[in-house]
Amino acid sequence: MSFRPPATVSGGLSLKIAPFTSRTLWRYGAAFVLVALSTGAAEAFYRITQVTRVSAIFLAGVLIAAFWLGSGPAYFAAGLAFLAYNYYLMEPRLELNLGALEAALTLALFFAVAMLTGSLTGRVRDQAEKAQARARTTQTLFDATRDFSAIPDEAFIRERLVHHLAAAARGSALVFSNTQTFASPVGLDRPEELMRQALALGAEDGSGEVTTTFIDGWILRPLYADGAALGAAAWRSQSGARLAADEQTLLEILADTGAAAIARARLTAAKANAEARARTEELRDALLSSISHDLRTPLAAIMASASSLREFGDNFDAATRRDLTATIQEESERMNAFVANLLNMTKLEAGALAVHRTRFEIHEVIERTLRRQQLVNKRTILQATPGEDLQASGDPLLFEQALGNVVENAIRYSPAGSTVCIACERGANEAVVCVTDEGPGVLPSDMGRIFDKFYRSPSVSGKAGTGLGLSITRGFMEAMGGNVTAVNRPRPEHGLAVTLKLGLAQ
Amino acid sequence: MSEASARLLLVDDEPQIVRALTPALTAAGYSVETASTGESALSQMAGNPCDVMILDLGLPDMDGKDVIRRVREWSEAPIIVLSARDLESEKISALDLGADDFVNKPVGVGELLARVRASLRGRERRFTAQPSFKAGDLQINFPTRRVQVLGEDVRLTPREYDLLLTLARQAGRVVTHKQVIASVWGADAQVDAQFVRVLVAQLRQKLEIEPSSPRIVLTEPGVGYRLKADDDS
Repeated sequence: MSFRPPATVSGGLSLKIAPFTSRTLWRYGAAFVLVALSTGAAEAFYRITQVTRVSAIFLAGVLIAAFWLGSGPAYFAAGLAFLAYNYYLMEPRLELNLGALEAALTLALFFAVAMLTGSLTGRVRDQAEKAQARARTTQTLFDATRDFSAIPDEAFIRERLVHHLAAAARGSALVFSNTQTFASPVGLDRPEELMRQALALGAEDGSGEVTTTFIDGWILRPLYADGAALGAAAWRSQSGARLAADEQTLLEILADTGAAAIARARLTAAKANAEARARTEELRDALLSSISHDLRTPLAAIMASASSLREFGDNFDAATRRDLTATIQEESERMNAFVANLLNMTKLEAGALAVHRTRFEIHEVIERTLRRQQLVNKRTILQATPGEDLQASGDPLLFEQALGNVVENAIRYSPAGSTVCIACERGANEAVVCVTDEGPGVLPSDMGRIFDKFYRSPSVSGKAGTGLGLSITRGFMEAMGGNVTAVNRPRPEHGLAVTLKLGLAQ
Repeated sequence: MSEASARLLLVDDEPQIVRALTPALTAAGYSVETASTGESALSQMAGNPCDVMILDLGLPDMDGKDVIRRVREWSEAPIIVLSARDLESEKISALDLGADDFVNKPVGVGELLARVRASLRGRERRFTAQPSFKAGDLQINFPTRRVQVLGEDVRLTPREYDLLLTLARQAGRVVTHKQVIASVWGADAQVDAQFVRVLVAQLRQKLEIEPSSPRIVLTEPGVGYRLKADDDS
């Protein structure tokens, strides 16, 4: 097929100048057969009835030809039928009698029928074709927009756009961004001149008019949306022939819709970026304010104690002096623990954590943790350990810090004077250490996040804390092949139960 | 010391801070009460009003700024904000809400005691109008609007004088940009903080021996200005 006839042809007077294709040949053949059949039928009718006025039979043949085969074959059939009628049936029979008035009338009648019927059916067929084309256009645009809005990802949209363009052009298509080319079919050759012009279009400022250019059978259209140049799209039909006007319009609409979708995807990405940045900033602010609080509170106590001793040392009694020096020591220890946590977090993040795996006694670590926490926090901690010694496999120092953070958390978020309990038992091939407190517990919606870095429950915003402790615990436990989980204690008890599990030594 | 019998209310939820500060404040001659929550601070104020409140902004039950707002509804008692937060906006809004001064943690007791004394003086000044002000080399005579540095007269424009007056009334304590604008240009004036900086620079040109390293009109970065009082450390 080298040329597609225009899709809109109305009126039988304008003959379609169609090339002689097999389909056309078949139609004319069919017209010939119809006339032959009409002649046969008329001949049979004449033999039976001896009536020669059987032009109606030929007329029926012409009518059918016009109805089924279109205008061209209809005229062909009309002429043929006239000749057959004139030759076989019109008196004198078996000779052409072209001069008679009746002959002229018959010819005129046949042609009139062919013209009117052909025109009518042509119009109906055209309308059906138009409706089909409209439905195809709508379907194509619908499919494309649905594709474009499925995932707000620029590369995905470009990929779908090139696919839809190639389908609509019934050929091939290219979509250019500033850095990439998308082709359909994949691996398509990219003409150099086309690439050059496409890149030039992509470098424009995108506020210009969108115009289509023709290059070597390719049709190139810039992708502009919201004043931004988003690259260009190009397409060509299979053979490189011109596309029909409505197809061309459809392709342009497709390209423009694609451009709008790309612009939207970029906006969505920019918005997501901005939101992520805002979240990061929020997190950083929260971190800075809690680090400055956690570092400055012990520092403030140390500074106040030390400067008090310097300025008023002689006025204080021995007990006050002891108290102030004790404050300095305790607060230094607290700061040291905090700095250690910060360092641990940094190590965990950098993947620089060294695990010295060895066999160790769980209850010894629990003892040490208890002593240290009771010294610093002045809270009673209950202990429930089994009679047998549990030997776990892991790094005792890391485990002590992991457990220490959990206990400190329990102390921090439970009311003063309430009990914190560390229980230990043998599980299936693992040591299970459970720390329970009598605090408010954690909202079910927050439960999944308490081990996240810098996460602090909104309900405890008044309390000190960086949101580092539990995330370090999880990091350490996982580095040793263990794990840590948390649940709210079942009613009627209240508070949080955090369970650490570590494999037993073999 | 005349303020020696003054009563302080120390509001901080960190017990170690309270423990570390109380002995020195007591040794300086003040009677010290403590509160660890905003609610208990407010109820102690209501029951037996103190002379100076030293307030930590990060309280477990409510924002320290709300404590200031509630106290200022009925009391003019000086409030010194003790802040471990780095946010200047926090300090500014605390001061704008009616706090008299702020001290960053960590702080030596010497500086804290100086601020307490400045607050107590400021409170006295509210009741006893002094005709003159003296701090270091600076001397101001309010009725004659005469300003002297090292005994020499300094000629100020009306705006410069208003600025100096505002700072001198709160000598030793910080004055925010907003407060300067309100007293120099008027409460409803829409004035850029840049104008305040220009005005302060002009004042320093006239008062300071070395305007680039001021010793009388001090800057509190991001917050405002402070006129050096006699016993500032």
